Amino acid sequence: MFKSGIGGKLTLKLDPAEQAVLSQLFEQMAELLDDPDSQTNSDPLAQLLNMGGSTHISEDPALARLFPDGYSDDEHASADFRRFTEQDLRAQKVSALATVRGTLTNWNGKASITDQQAQDWLKAINDLRLVLGTRLEITDEAETDFEADDPGIHLYNYLTYLQGTLIDALT
Amino acid sequence: MTALPIEDVELDVLTDRPWITLVWNDPINLMTYVTYVFQTYFGYDKPKAELLMLDVHEKGRAVVSSGTREEMERDVAAMHSYGLWATLQKDD
Repeated sequence: MFKSGIGGKLTLKLDPAEQAVLSQLFEQMAELLDDPDSQTNSDPLAQLLNMGGSTHISEDPALARLFPDGYSDDEHASADFRRFTEQDLRAQKVSALATVRGTLTNWNGKASITDQQAQDWLKAINDLRLVLGTRLEITDEAETDFEADDPGIHLYNYLTYLQGTLIDALT
Repeated sequence: MTALPIEDVELDVLTDRPWITLVWNDPINLMTYVTYVFQTYFGYDKPKAELLMLDVHEKGRAVVSSGTREEMERDVAAMHSYGLWATLQKDD
């Protein structure tokens, strides 16, 4: 869990099982973001101009949730928005993942977390919850209906708990 | 000489109609997280951030900022970086 100490300094404490599970989940997330099927434009000029992103929302509901449309009522504008922003958004997510995976490397049970790292942790955990929640087809905020013996739900609830401790520590 | 691409002309420069950023409700993002994002990114105080979050939660969506189209595209991209479901549109 995350804790705020003297002077607002953040620490993260995880037991070995938590560290193992999180490392695995973040690794899978990195693979998902590295999906070769994601439609990127390989035109070097377009990439130079930072407009090499795809123009269509992903058919994978989880990726669609991570990279949603920018306009709800204008397909053409959405395509342009995606072309100009998706690569940067992906790069931000990849960078946050690198931060959290760095924290978990050579883990000895406890780590101090800088403010910048905390933002990366917050976003990376949230992205995990979005992907897992989409895969589990969570459509209701009430978590009491969840089948307690589903390992996916256990993971989801753990991530909710972990993110809650980070938000508490930050506010 | 090429014809003026009519559909690309920004007619908005002639009007004061602003653009708005909408955040939509979703069953995954935590209420405390959404409030935190509104405070952190927009610099809103906690009561305002909580009101907006409750609007999102109860009415399905809320207008969280308004301004030029470019500003709203920036805000929407930022919301997406936090994993919030946001879109922009012209204010009706």
